[in-house]
Amino acid sequence: MDYTISTVAPIVLLPFFAFAINAFIVKKFTKVAVFLSCAAILGSFFFASRIFFDFLNVFATDYYIHKTFTWFDLSYGEFPFKLDMGIYIDNMTATMLFMVTGVASLIHIFSTYYMKEDARYGRFFVYVSLFTSAMLALVLSENLISVFIFWELMGFCSYSLIGFYYEKEGAGNASMKAFMTTRVGDVFFLFGILAIWSVVGSVSFVDIYAALANGAFDGQYALGISLATVAGLGIFMGTIGKSAQFPLQVWLPDAMFGPTPCSALIHAATMVAAGVYLSLRCYPLMEAGGLTYFIACIGGITAFGAATIALVQTDIKAVLAYSTISQLGYMVLGVGVGSYNAAFMHLITHAVFKACLFLSAGSVIHSLHDHHTHAHVQEMPRMGGLRKKMPFTFLAMLFCTLAIAGIPFFSGFVSKDRILGDALVAATHDAKYWIPSVLGFAGAFLTAFYMFRMMFLTFFGEPRDKDLYEHTHKEKLSWNRNVPLLILSVFTLGVFFSGSLTGQGLIKVADKKYEWFQTLIEKPHIENFTNRSKQAFGFTTEKSTETFEASHYDANHGLSEEEAHHVHHIHHIGALVSIVIAFSGVFIAAMMYFWRSWNPGFWVSTFSRWYRALQNKYYMDDLYIKGIIQKGLIPFNNLLAFIDMGLYDRYAIDGWEKVNRALFTVAKWVDNLIVDTAMVDGTGASVRFFNVILRTLQSGKIQFYFIMIFLVLAGYIWTLNI
Amino acid sequence: MQASSNLLNWILWMPFIGVLGILFIPKAKETAIRVWSLINTTVTFALTLVLYAKFDTTVPGMQVPFNISVPWIKSFNIFYKLGVDGISLPMIVLTGLLFLICVLSSWTVKKQVKAYFALFLFLQSTVFGVFFAMDFFLFYVYWEVMLIPMFFLIGIWGGENREYAAVKFFLYTFLGSILMLVGMVALYYASGKGIDSFDILALQGGKFSDLTLTIFGATFSFAKLFFVFLFIGFAIKVPVFPFHTWLPHAHVQAPTAISVILAGVLLKMGTYGFLRIAFPIFPEATIYFSDAIAWLGLINVIYGAFCAMAQTDVKKLVAYSSVSHMGFVMLGLAALTVTGVNGAVLQMFNHGTSTAMMFLMIGVLYERSHHRWIVRPDGSKGFGGLYTQLPKFSIIFIIAMFASMGLPGLSGFISEALIFLGIYERFTTITVLALLGLLLGAAYLLWMFKRMFFGDVIEECKSYTDMNAREIFYMLPLCVAVIVFGIYPSPVLDVMRASVGNLVSMLAKF
Repeated sequence: MDYTISTVAPIVLLPFFAFAINAFIVKKFTKVAVFLSCAAILGSFFFASRIFFDFLNVFATDYYIHKTFTWFDLSYGEFPFKLDMGIYIDNMTATMLFMVTGVASLIHIFSTYYMKEDARYGRFFVYVSLFTSAMLALVLSENLISVFIFWELMGFCSYSLIGFYYEKEGAGNASMKAFMTTRVGDVFFLFGILAIWSVVGSVSFVDIYAALANGAFDGQYALGISLATVAGLGIFMGTIGKSAQFPLQVWLPDAMFGPTPCSALIHAATMVAAGVYLSLRCYPLMEAGGLTYFIACIGGITAFGAATIALVQTDIKAVLAYSTISQLGYMVLGVGVGSYNAAFMHLITHAVFKACLFLSAGSVIHSLHDHHTHAHVQEMPRMGGLRKKMPFTFLAMLFCTLAIAGIPFFSGFVSKDRILGDALVAATHDAKYWIPSVLGFAGAFLTAFYMFRMMFLTFFGEPRDKDLYEHTHKEKLSWNRNVPLLILSVFTLGVFFSGSLTGQGLIKVADKKYEWFQTLIEKPHIENFTNRSKQAFGFTTEKSTETFEASHYDANHGLSEEEAHHVHHIHHIGALVSIVIAFSGVFIAAMMYFWRSWNPGFWVSTFSRWYRALQNKYYMDDLYIKGIIQKGLIPFNNLLAFIDMGLYDRYAIDGWEKVNRALFTVAKWVDNLIVDTAMVDGTGASVRFFNVILRTLQSGKIQFYFIMIFLVLAGYIWTLNI
Repeated sequence: MQASSNLLNWILWMPFIGVLGILFIPKAKETAIRVWSLINTTVTFALTLVLYAKFDTTVPGMQVPFNISVPWIKSFNIFYKLGVDGISLPMIVLTGLLFLICVLSSWTVKKQVKAYFALFLFLQSTVFGVFFAMDFFLFYVYWEVMLIPMFFLIGIWGGENREYAAVKFFLYTFLGSILMLVGMVALYYASGKGIDSFDILALQGGKFSDLTLTIFGATFSFAKLFFVFLFIGFAIKVPVFPFHTWLPHAHVQAPTAISVILAGVLLKMGTYGFLRIAFPIFPEATIYFSDAIAWLGLINVIYGAFCAMAQTDVKKLVAYSSVSHMGFVMLGLAALTVTGVNGAVLQMFNHGTSTAMMFLMIGVLYERSHHRWIVRPDGSKGFGGLYTQLPKFSIIFIIAMFASMGLPGLSGFISEALIFLGIYERFTTITVLALLGLLLGAAYLLWMFKRMFFGDVIEECKSYTDMNAREIFYMLPLCVAVIVFGIYPSPVLDVMRASVGNLVSMLAKF
């Protein structure tokens, strides 16, 4: 493989150019713009798949491509400073590229169906192209500053897409909330970057790995805390913001204000995935900083908490939004318990089934047209029985629901079960990990329940809004609507990600079959980077690096035989528990919403307080907006502004002028006595010159200042002579 | 003497030629006056670009081929001495560009057109003078003379409270001037009458480190005492808290073009003063006071942002945002590192473009609405649904807003990132707190945007027309600048690198 920056660049640049061109032509040539966007992303997909399959061909765990160029250089003499940009591609990058371009392509195609009648059909594609391009650039980034740049750029794109229907007042709130909430995390992220820079003198991933391997972080402190902890925490805060983890998850549900395909993009392939991706990239740092338990807890709390809120949602998109938060919680939990491979696999599997879920939900919403209000309906209480009207969408959604609920043979089971298994392993080693593990399992149960609740409420039973149902046309198959759904739902099958259920892997190397995902994705082996020249300010001698280490396909992932046995044992127990939990969740949902033997209303009235708390999202939005912002920040700002202008400026500054005016009476006397009579003519004349100009406006004060100058000068000269 | 040696003179006096030209155009021929000003500022801008093209980026100090030195007042060793280096060049090009844009934006000025453009071009000449002057006395003269056109431009063409604002502006900056004057005279005496004692370059390099001064029995360090004098003189211009309260008044009352010049160029003269005069002449005092400067910068960042959030007048909001953003420049300067100072100089340039965009856009809006209330004093909405009503305006406004809040990909980010990299190691605590400024910066701008642009179009906004060709035309160069320098900052960074590096390495010796 001889990839260079210029051969990889088209992946990013194609959508970017589509954006840049479309931004100008979109108004007049909407169709051309849409075509350009779609063609660009398909082009990206082509280049990305070439890389992906090349990496599969090499089939080596430690293979990576790293190329850089200097973005700018401020070195002067003994002060070196330069900032490099470049690409870093390893197995994880390649997989990510393949997933992002693939899912984004399908979302693009679906959008040509979904957005067609929208007044700003073309504008949508402008943002989407930039969004995708930023995500791809982020994935390829070789350093943290570059990640940060594209990270924020995605924040901007999501701001624009969430605020897409800007006529609606709510869109303004939702988009601002999304941008500001993620920015809270970003600020910490930036601090983490600065902390790393102070030690490593570079923020390139390979330099960070090298620094960690060489112990550069040992004994370094920032703000009195170990620097690795500060840096790791800063970066993880970025993840918390971007991947909507507790306590910054509040923005994601509101993000559904944007068009549904953009929700699919934000929730699946881009934005939120970036946060977890970053945590995985920086995993060695988090480990060195001793943050794993904290991360696991945040993940567990989010996975469980969001699942509970999803229980009571009636808006189909809201259910999906909370399910995203919950599933991201699993990924973060995976990072926390060291389940690196499974966390990343869940990122990929989730991207596929969540994109499909959102597109299916979009398909449902698009078909349900309330001819009284001329609005699309997304409330589940008004749905029901839609299975017959839209069988294809139903099947697609069913596949994804099976996947997310963790039913065996589906992708979600493979990845989630392994995260939970690893959580159990962690708990057997260290009892405190029981907390995130139990939260994880409980969340898995709830997931199965609320997802099937959604399915039953939407597609089964009698239509609850007869009028709406009658007006819904029977699903017509159209390629740009159904092909994306078809492809995505096929990829919810577990076999693509793991051969473990068939007993064998898919990739054959030297007469042995391997599971590609489990073999290829491994924690960064930082010890491979020890030899990287470690110099002050991160100057690397080589322009680019390309290493190929003879790969070891270690089935035990570096564990001893005994340990590996223990892990396998726990994993089997975990899998069994997962399966039981998933099916019982489905069963209870069926009892409540399919057979209707159990009345959900009973539970609502019994736990009415909890029900209200869930409906109010645990009052966290209230706490942030009504509490911190409206009761704290805004009154504080108003007070400060009042002090600034109403008190300080009005009394201290203007009051000082009043004092001057009083002094002026004295000065006038001095003026007459000294300036006019005693001063030399030349200077006196210049004073008079200014006076003539300014007398009309504020005669007294200006004069006074001139006098002051001369008095001070005279005094000064006098003191100097002593 | 080389052929290019008179270039600085040409740039400096070209606007003045414009002023003379205007004097010969009859008062009634308003279009002729405008066109003449446009041609004049275009030529000036072209000349600044020529200077940029001929600039040698490898030279750390003054660009010798451009130097001009003519004795002016021989008995006091005062020279008419001009020079240019990497710190002043970005400011000079920025000045050329912004004045050109502002002439286009001032096309709609109706009141006393002749006087307006004459004063406006006169202002440009004096601004160039400040950036070119290499003789302290000359610098001071330009610094002072600049107040005159500024005073009248605010006082005559401003809003309702223009006289109050103009006087406030004048008095504040004049107070600074007095202190600067005292400092200047002190330096003159301290350096001895024999040498070029107003020569900024000759005074540099810590020549006054050991000098002490006894006033009324108390002993002061000469350097520290007069550093404070000069510091306050420049700080008022920046403006550094607590000398900032003239800025909101001046901005709100000034006509659009003057706000643009004020925020885009004049504020930078304060920080330029630190870099050119206060820091190099008193390096040991600079290091002694750098902690205090950093804290002041931090207060600017946070305090300005908090105050901005409370504003209901959109222009006042942007004025306070300038206070906040200039705080970043102060932070970068206080770092005294290559990254910090380069970041600060770049931020001076970037803030010049982004904040100019904000003020121009508000000016465009004001010409339609004749008010600037985000929320009126009675609590009703001043604007609403502008996104729907003015799509082109909104897109350019978004670019301006995100450039202003330092979104990566736009120019402000690089300078802020460099500043943060610069201050982190010396002032970790301040860095943490200053990062809050980034958060607040996004908050007040987005909140303003939400209130003005989203939602239904309110009744009175329905009559607004979108930006016309002239308005789009003069916004385009700035849009291009914030995007291009956000992706590729080297054209600016390369020019300043050597000069800034030279300054930093000189300061590092103390």
